[in-house]
Amino acid sequence: MSRVRDEIVIALAGNPNSGKTTLFNALTGSHHKVGNYPGVTVEKREGTRRRGDRSYRFVDLPGIYSLTAYSLDEVVARDFLLDKKPDLIIDVLDSTNLERHLYLCLQFRELGIPVVGALNMSDEAEAKGLKIDTDELSAVLGIPLARTVGTVGSGIEGLLDQADAVADGATGAERMPGYGDELEDRLAPLVAAIEADPAFAAAYPSRWMAVKLLEKDEDARKRLKTHAASDRVLAAAAEATAWIERHFGKDSEIVVSEQRYAYIHGAVKEAVTVVRKPDFSMTEAIDRVVMHPVLALPLFLGVLWSVFQLTFAIGEFPMGWLETLFGYLGAGVAAILPDGLVESLLVDGIIGGVGGVFSFVPLIIILFFLLSVLEDVGYMSRAAFATDKLLHSFGLHGQSIFPLMLGFGCSVPAIMAARTLKSPRDRIVTILVIPFMSCGAKLPVHVLLAATFFPRNAAAMVMLVYAIGVALALGSSLLLKRTVLKGQATPFVMELPPWRAPTLSGLGWHVWEKTWLYVKKAGTVILAASILIWAITSFPRREPTDAELSSLAAATSAANPGLDAAALESLVANEVSRRTLEASAAGRIGHFIEPVFRPLGFDWKIGVATVTGFAAKEVVVSTLGVLYSVGGEEGNEESLRAALKADPVFNPLVAFSLMLFILIIPPCFAALGAIKAELGWKWLGFSFAYLLTLGWLIAFAVHRVGLLAGLVT
Amino acid sequence: MVLADLPEDAGFTVKSVLLDREVGKRLADMGFTEGAEGRVVRRGFLRGPLQVLIRGYSILIRRCEAAGISVESDAEPLASPFGPGHGLGRGRGRGPGRGRGLGARPGFARRGHGSGEACR
Repeated sequence: MSRVRDEIVIALAGNPNSGKTTLFNALTGSHHKVGNYPGVTVEKREGTRRRGDRSYRFVDLPGIYSLTAYSLDEVVARDFLLDKKPDLIIDVLDSTNLERHLYLCLQFRELGIPVVGALNMSDEAEAKGLKIDTDELSAVLGIPLARTVGTVGSGIEGLLDQADAVADGATGAERMPGYGDELEDRLAPLVAAIEADPAFAAAYPSRWMAVKLLEKDEDARKRLKTHAASDRVLAAAAEATAWIERHFGKDSEIVVSEQRYAYIHGAVKEAVTVVRKPDFSMTEAIDRVVMHPVLALPLFLGVLWSVFQLTFAIGEFPMGWLETLFGYLGAGVAAILPDGLVESLLVDGIIGGVGGVFSFVPLIIILFFLLSVLEDVGYMSRAAFATDKLLHSFGLHGQSIFPLMLGFGCSVPAIMAARTLKSPRDRIVTILVIPFMSCGAKLPVHVLLAATFFPRNAAAMVMLVYAIGVALALGSSLLLKRTVLKGQATPFVMELPPWRAPTLSGLGWHVWEKTWLYVKKAGTVILAASILIWAITSFPRREPTDAELSSLAAATSAANPGLDAAALESLVANEVSRRTLEASAAGRIGHFIEPVFRPLGFDWKIGVATVTGFAAKEVVVSTLGVLYSVGGEEGNEESLRAALKADPVFNPLVAFSLMLFILIIPPCFAALGAIKAELGWKWLGFSFAYLLTLGWLIAFAVHRVGLLAGLVT
Repeated sequence: MVLADLPEDAGFTVKSVLLDREVGKRLADMGFTEGAEGRVVRRGFLRGPLQVLIRGYSILIRRCEAAGISVESDAEPLASPFGPGHGLGRGRGRGPGRGRGLGARPGFARRGHGSGEACR
């Protein structure tokens, strides 16, 4: 690896809330792309910049507090630094809070990768009355420093100058921050033992490895297995930690942290002077209201309600436009192509299905915009403060409340919004219980059944179903936290950043990246699913014969004397589409799974509607419409209600079990696609199986108990 | 006394972190090390989390974890329903490690004062 070359790879690292993302945007302009780190949902952002004849490739690492391997973010950052060995680390430091941010900087210093410090938010530090002696600090830390203000993009050139200097091989005052004589005396033999295997020492920075062994780092111990004499190193490490624990009277990993902070404390004392203390803190003033013991919760509910209203109120318009657009597109294609299979696949299958996905996009854009604003200004941690106690008792996290509430609108953005949860365990639980929050598309199903079978208490029945959904969500999260997601306790210790004005470019990127990820990942799943649903409702194809049509027409007019020709024709058409659907694969599946549904009091028609409901839950209503020969279009609710009432299969008890069944069973393909995108196939499978089983069991229990109680004669 | 017992606006000096392994190390990483000075900014409603100022920045910490940080303070501790000095709330895990993977290794888990599992 030559030191001087055209492209240098720079890892941009630092604590959360250090202004890393805005600095990344300032460094790369619009030249960046977003993806995921392999195998995990942690977003990986890369960008490039050219200056003179040199090009820089920046990789934005997730914001972390320490280089341990406890959180996914930390593992990702650490693996990148250790395995990909970038040419340079730019450590983004919040100048207003150096003592906290230098803790990570000291750990970067041990990796054997050159570090340049960006003293970010230097304008804020000045405003706060902090005077930083850059030269002094640079000397104490042994790294070059540059002052930057990411929000306005100042100091970028100076930072790149420093990066160039390091890339060209300039070594400044190479001073390695120490851990004090006692620890350094233990580290020296450990480093020597590690360097006994030159191949290993070339792969891993030996000082870093030695320190991690004193910190009893499991991941480092795993990596040590490739060492030629790993037993000897481990024995030396055990001896060193035992000595430290005897000497200091506490765990050696704690001692290591203490020594780091001790060094930083000294450095900050020398290099930072407080010129004047600000007598008024805007953050504290706002927090007095926002985090008020009594006001915090109602205020939070207000914010939540506003986000909800804004998302769905504003989103309604573009959603409508997109639906119209796809409607025109479908009609256009239908006009060009001859009637037949290809036309049906394109119009009903692909354009209908993919159009469904794209009509979600405006919702997602608006939602992510609002959530990004709340996150960037610092409200999210305040919301967690307000709700954590309540949600924690059910095994959820304070920040779960946002995604859960959004679930009442649509599970897709709700599942995506769970990204704000940093702990994987909390995130998984939250995503798994979101489907219980009865989404907007299930409402027409509930309303149809409630209005038909509980005409006097329709609203109360729908409310009851919603309440049962919430209860199941809370109960399930308790259950999951006690069983499948047991252990791996992640502490609730989160930073409360000061209130900050968001930057427009930052918000824009957040929104664009998340939206694009959704379209890319959920889109493919939904395309496949739309084609599948189209196929099973269209095949095997069954064209009615002329003889069948004429006998059907005769029978219809005999049964309905006095109807005009147009009405008769539509009745015949409805009957034909009913027969087509019944003869299709979906109809056969309905018949095939009927035995499974019979204990619930359901028949094959409900089976078909359940299957097609995976396209979108409101499709349950239109499928029932087709199956009861009243047509699938909107506006047929009256005749569908009459038909359901006349069907002996249905009674209030069956209707109620069906409402619960539709509430609980796995969500539509769009939501399943989102679960897959966020958690992967394994959790998608788990979620599917769990919801299906629970839905069946609850519908069964309700039906049986109802029968036993004699609710239906 | 422990951090969870302190009233609002009380200043404190950290004595030690009583929690084991991951949680203890995390708290140390976040700045709760011996001698670090801080202040309780506010206590959450109905036993909600605490907002604590440490090393010049604010963090939120659940009472359960705050009960695992031993501190010194001039302020009078709040009356605790569990009596004084009772570190951890419900479900205290006595005995080192409780057999979860890493914890069971001899010499790596000491300090029988509740494990990281106490806060779930």
